[in-house]
Amino acid sequence: MAIEPASELSSVEGATGFEAAAEREHAVGIGPWRLAGRRLRRNKVALAFGVLFLLLVGLALAAPLWAKDVAHTTTSANHLTEILHEGNKQVYVVSLSGVPVGPQWFAAGGKFFLGADDNGRDVMVRLLYGARTSLEIGIAAALITTVLAVVVALFAGYLRGITDTVLSRIMDIMWAFPVVILGVALGTALSIGGLKVGPVTLQSGSIAIPILIIGFVYVVYMARPLRGQVLSMREKEFIEAARAQGMGSFRIMFTEILPNLASTIVVFFPLAIANAILLEAYLSFLGAGVQPPTPSWGEMISEGIDRITTAPHLTIVPGLMLVLTVLALNIFGEGVRDALDPRSKVRISDN
Amino acid sequence: MRKYRGPVAAIVAVAAALALAACGGSSNSSSSSASGAASASSSTSSSSATGGAPKSGGTIKIGTVGPDSYDPQEYQTVQADSALHLVWTGLLAFKDGTGQASTELIPGLAESVPQPTDGGKTYVFQIRPNLHYSDGEPVKPSDVVNMVKRNLFLGGPFSSFYDDIVGATAYTAAKKQTAPLPGMIADDASGKLTIKLVQPDTRVLYAFAIGEAGVGPASKAIFKNTTGNPFPGDGPYTLKVVNPSPTNGEFILTKNPKFDVPTVAKGYLDQIDGMVSTNVNTMTENVINGTYDYMTEDPVGDLLPQVESQYKDRFLIGPGYPNTYYFFLNNTIAPFNKLAARQAVNYAIDPTALQRIFGGRLHPTCNLLPPGMVGYTAISPCPWRPNGTPQLSKAQALVKSAGLTGAPVTVWTNTKDPRPAIGAYLASVLNQIGFKATIKSLNQTVYFSTIGDPKSKAQIGFDDWFQDFPHAGDFMGNLLTTAAAKSIPSFNSGFVSDPHIDQQVNALDAQQPPAVASQWAALDAYVNSPTHAYLVPYGNEEDTAFYSTRMNVTQCSGYPNLVHRVDWALLCLK
Repeated sequence: MAIEPASELSSVEGATGFEAAAEREHAVGIGPWRLAGRRLRRNKVALAFGVLFLLLVGLALAAPLWAKDVAHTTTSANHLTEILHEGNKQVYVVSLSGVPVGPQWFAAGGKFFLGADDNGRDVMVRLLYGARTSLEIGIAAALITTVLAVVVALFAGYLRGITDTVLSRIMDIMWAFPVVILGVALGTALSIGGLKVGPVTLQSGSIAIPILIIGFVYVVYMARPLRGQVLSMREKEFIEAARAQGMGSFRIMFTEILPNLASTIVVFFPLAIANAILLEAYLSFLGAGVQPPTPSWGEMISEGIDRITTAPHLTIVPGLMLVLTVLALNIFGEGVRDALDPRSKVRISDN
Repeated sequence: MRKYRGPVAAIVAVAAALALAACGGSSNSSSSSASGAASASSSTSSSSATGGAPKSGGTIKIGTVGPDSYDPQEYQTVQADSALHLVWTGLLAFKDGTGQASTELIPGLAESVPQPTDGGKTYVFQIRPNLHYSDGEPVKPSDVVNMVKRNLFLGGPFSSFYDDIVGATAYTAAKKQTAPLPGMIADDASGKLTIKLVQPDTRVLYAFAIGEAGVGPASKAIFKNTTGNPFPGDGPYTLKVVNPSPTNGEFILTKNPKFDVPTVAKGYLDQIDGMVSTNVNTMTENVINGTYDYMTEDPVGDLLPQVESQYKDRFLIGPGYPNTYYFFLNNTIAPFNKLAARQAVNYAIDPTALQRIFGGRLHPTCNLLPPGMVGYTAISPCPWRPNGTPQLSKAQALVKSAGLTGAPVTVWTNTKDPRPAIGAYLASVLNQIGFKATIKSLNQTVYFSTIGDPKSKAQIGFDDWFQDFPHAGDFMGNLLTTAAAKSIPSFNSGFVSDPHIDQQVNALDAQQPPAVASQWAALDAYVNSPTHAYLVPYGNEEDTAFYSTRMNVTQCSGYPNLVHRVDWALLCLK
């Protein structure tokens, strides 16, 4: 396995003059990952948003505790006809005209902390479980995207020829479809009938369906820049040396080139999670993503849109969570990118 | 007695008063007016109301979730019926009007409404001479035979209505278009059509008046689903499907110059554009800002109180159109093939909770038959909720004792508001009592045909029924009989098959509903009794009509029409 010399990664073109010179001096004898970590620690904004993301993950993990010990309910339990006591006043969780109660904070002992929805369900509980859904889908879909994109990029970029032509044309076709439309088309088809491939069967409401769809539609957006890197890397001396030693193509791809793609993949990964979470929200908003009653932020926004005047919390709260999560991942991801490869301008774009 | 809610009560009360005046002052004239306006009397179109005739001409846009099919023998929804009954007129029709008058049977293609002979088993129709379809072909009695054969052959949702015609069962079994149907004798030369029944059936006249009995030329009304290429009609309007998309479609109704049925309203408007969309909120906003002139859907969410308070001069609401909302339970597959499972759901459902999802527009019920229907007697106390509250612990015990704890159940619903919330409520209740529920939500245009197909294996879900004609058999016959279960798609979404219901419906259909009202009431109690629990009725919805400022709501609302919800033939501009 060969890793490019640290000096090559640390020849920072973004940081010029004395700063760059000082960094080069300090970088002597330091590995690229440590150097990147050092740079990342200097980026306080990125770190702050990284911590925010970890907080959100913590909240998502705490969902069952909140539901069981504070709200005393589940994500799908309706409380349509229940009455809450606000001081001397009694209010229905959902009024006869269908308007749900707003945030109660701790007035009801933590029940309906962020209010109720049209079905009398606890918004806070659904929000926390929605965070789990979004993160699960985001991380799993990003993993699928990354694995597939790396494989495609390695094969297309290293083997070139007919393999590259075929894979590149397939990517061109996928590129031609706007991500949301492709996702909605696949989501709608699979959310009704489910998916059956050989012995593998996914029920129509399975969370694996949006994971697969989102993971699949973003492959091209990661595979293309990676392929470019592989194309340039295969001409480098260390690859020629590997060939001269008699290493086979597969071995070169996975033991020589892949480790050198690691920094790019690490940069892409948080951004891929952010994009996957956003797309999941789009799809769920349009009814083609996570199927009810599983809570998801996009679905919560969709359900709350009819009540935006009388119960704005139904849309604002999940919307805010979505913004915070995506912002946190994007800014942290940018920080990682700057730390690992300040020259890089490659980004995942969604269409 | 019909009740209306809130500030619009006064408007509708005035309309009702005018209806009485109109009934006294106008007759079901057989001559059409020179303006081309409705010739049949209409309670809200009484010119005496404002001292002038309603304006004719103009084009309007109607927002709708759209017809589920453009084939008259295949469609199932109210939205389809509202539009398409104007394209195909049957042997008989319902009077164009509002209120109770709109349920009156009148002659359509036939010269008169025939009286049965032979102990109620024979009807003889005389087709009016010189009637033509929109493409110029003459209307013939054999076209009506073709319509019935087509219905039976395709197994259309209303095909069971024709089962009592002599030879109908054999025709269906033969699965051959040209097989004989001896119970229908058409003489094209004289225009005479004789229909012979195996047994008396008082629904049969209605079966030839509903929109789904619309007649087309036999040469073009081929024996396959023609929704993609509708055949010519004989109604007051012609149909052009611009875009069949269920989410962003469009169809256009334009005046049929060849229409010449004097008893049926010709319509005031020159053209009606149906704008198909699933977004009810956008539809409502389009009516508010005048992009659309009327919408077939009820405003939902925040827009309902806004429309009720701010646009009271053009928004009508009331329990006009008899209907029942219920959950179907598929009696043929697990887990609802077990009585205990069906009982459990009935015990657990709380209509007052669902009332909130409907924004208060739902009146809780325990009956399948809606109030106002002959045969309706409120089941009180409701066996499922004797104290008015659901019995969750009883439901949980039933699920447990039947060994169904954790049994997977898919709740079916559709995407039209507030039905996703209704589906979520049902799933929540099922989870509470021990099942493991997930939700499957389909577009409304394909929803009913999907749940009505036994291949879909839909276990439980949203369902509703709006009156086609004022007869308890319309509810019981369509929703609960074995014959209805055999249609594909079937309205009997639970695929209920109970010899007692079949026998009772057959026997009661033979007599006029008022004569057997108590028996219908007993059957209503039977189907939802703890010993059967075939379905879960929970409410009767108040329906609404919302118009743009261009529309003449005072004279031409067409609401409430008790067969088509709103009679589009009566709509007119200011």
